[in-house]
Amino acid sequence: MPARSLRAQLLRRLLAPVAVLLALGAASAYRLSLAPASDAYDQALADIALALGERIRVASDGYAVDLPAAAERALRTDRYDTIYYQVRAPDGTRIAGDAGLPDPPEGARAQDGVIRYETRYGGELVHVVAMLVPCGGRICTVQVAETGNKRRSLARTILLSSLVPELLLAAAALAMVWFGVKRGLAPLEALSAEIKARSARDLRPVDAGHAPLEARPLVDALNHLLVRVAEAAENQRRFVANAAHQLRTPLAGLQSHTELALAQELPPACRAELEQVHRAAIRTARLANQLLALARAEPGGVSAERFAPLDLRSIVEASADEWVHRSLARGVDLGFELAPAPVRGDALLLREALANLIHNAIEYAGAGARVTVRTGARDGAAVLEVEDDGPGIAPAERERVLERFYRIPGTPGEGSGLGLAIVREIAQAHGAALEVGAGAGGRGCRVVLRFAQA
Amino acid sequence: MRILLVEDDASLAGALAQMLRAEGHAVDAVSSGEQAVLAARQEPFDLVILDIGLPGIDGFEVLRRLRGGGGTMPVLMLTARDPVEDRVRGLDLGADDYMTKPFAMPELTARVRALVRRSQARAGPRIEHGPLVLDTAARRAFLGGEPLQLAAREWAVLEVLLARVERVVSKEAIIQAVTGWSEELSPNAIEVYVSRLRAKLEPAGIRIRTVRGFGYMLEEYQGG
Repeated sequence: MPARSLRAQLLRRLLAPVAVLLALGAASAYRLSLAPASDAYDQALADIALALGERIRVASDGYAVDLPAAAERALRTDRYDTIYYQVRAPDGTRIAGDAGLPDPPEGARAQDGVIRYETRYGGELVHVVAMLVPCGGRICTVQVAETGNKRRSLARTILLSSLVPELLLAAAALAMVWFGVKRGLAPLEALSAEIKARSARDLRPVDAGHAPLEARPLVDALNHLLVRVAEAAENQRRFVANAAHQLRTPLAGLQSHTELALAQELPPACRAELEQVHRAAIRTARLANQLLALARAEPGGVSAERFAPLDLRSIVEASADEWVHRSLARGVDLGFELAPAPVRGDALLLREALANLIHNAIEYAGAGARVTVRTGARDGAAVLEVEDDGPGIAPAERERVLERFYRIPGTPGEGSGLGLAIVREIAQAHGAALEVGAGAGGRGCRVVLRFAQA
Repeated sequence: MRILLVEDDASLAGALAQMLRAEGHAVDAVSSGEQAVLAARQEPFDLVILDIGLPGIDGFEVLRRLRGGGGTMPVLMLTARDPVEDRVRGLDLGADDYMTKPFAMPELTARVRALVRRSQARAGPRIEHGPLVLDTAARRAFLGGEPLQLAAREWAVLEVLLARVERVVSKEAIIQAVTGWSEELSPNAIEVYVSRLRAKLEPAGIRIRTVRGFGYMLEEYQGG
């Protein structure tokens, strides 16, 4: 199903009912206010009819209306409408006024002594008030009519005056929906921005604090999922760590026994085989250690809360002894240029990163190489770098060497391809930048870790 | 040298015992913490090699009981677990050194030698290193049986290096060990003392290696 905008949906659904409501409102307002207004106009016509009725004179030769010309003009005077009238004798003959004004329709009933009706006269719709007035003991009929100009104009005015506020109200309601949805969803946008900005390592629950009540189930479900993902990652991490740890003791036994055997007199062919076994044992042991390190550096294994203020220089100093011996054994000149480099971090992981960097340098720069470990503060960053003057890493390979189990084709030695991947995990755990480049003068390899200075 | 080896993995224990015996040590191997505590109470060992992951009471507990009973024998701990955390805990409890499994045999024998030397230095006033002998009580040095003239600062630097043969010692550590409270000593001065010591000791086959940018290491005596 294509994603649909909540806003558009709401508006679409609201628009029809609002339009209907608007029409109904206008219609009822029109009717409700038009009736009393028409009544008032009809009342004026009835007043005229009454006045005319009083003017009926009964003479011996018949009926007459005593209406001077001035009075008739006054009676007919209206700014907007034409007024007609007709007075009839009890026998129906016209006594005065305009001839042919139609009679009330059949069955029309009097109300308060008058009959109100509409009819056509002189090609126009007219509103008529008919009144029965006593004349000489009998009943005469007075009809007064007027055209509908005033009434139509009034109707327009009423319609307009009720429609304008209702339209405004509807517009306001729709606007409130439009902006209300935006406003209501703003916390969700903030929430998704927060989630987007997260690193894959950050599996902490999302703060539901600002989310609208309606979005809580979503946030809760998301948090629930995050917890399960973290648990799964943690389980896997623990399994790898346990497996690596369980491997260590038997590997130590294997390594020790092969060393003991190699210390004895052996036929040359047997010695060569045993040396292979010994190398494999060492390699496997290193692999187990690296898997453990990797598991430890992965998101579930590191918590930034456990980070403590420490100095990269001290980390290097604490490991120096171990690495000096290994480099001497490999004929590598290992040196140090150490200045204070305060960071916040996990000492265990930082030692591991350093160990992998130095190991790589010693391993791949080869006998006779010069390896230098540096720490210090540079451009506001705490820096740890290991540089060698060996063959270096081609620019095209510098990104790939950070991948797990990747080894540059044709590389001598027996590495696992995990060393720099571990360094990268540890760098990420510390929010540090990792850079693989060439050493001084474009020779060899230099790996730099830049930490936020503490 | 009498060594108590506490390791529950039979294969590793066998290899270690064989190798230590080949080095000329007497080795008693036990496979549980309880046995270790018992053995250590009955016999005066020169060194205990103690695995942390043991059935029953673990290596930390064994160490705690040994030290709790006032035992001062050197203890080298073996760990298959998180090396640094174990190390910190072990050293807090009074371990003298630690090694992470798996390890190379020569590394272990070197650590064993260093620990034994340190415990002997604590025990007596005589420090020996190949043809070099320091009598710390009389403050007299001999090289190949002949008296060796050492200035006070040279003596102090040599003593620091001798206490940590085959271990890298930083210049800062040397300065700290050599100078008193109010004194100031530059790293350059240390270089001067080391070069004088070299001039006196190298003809006898005793070598002090420079670790570039860091410090020095008195190498194991390889024989004349």
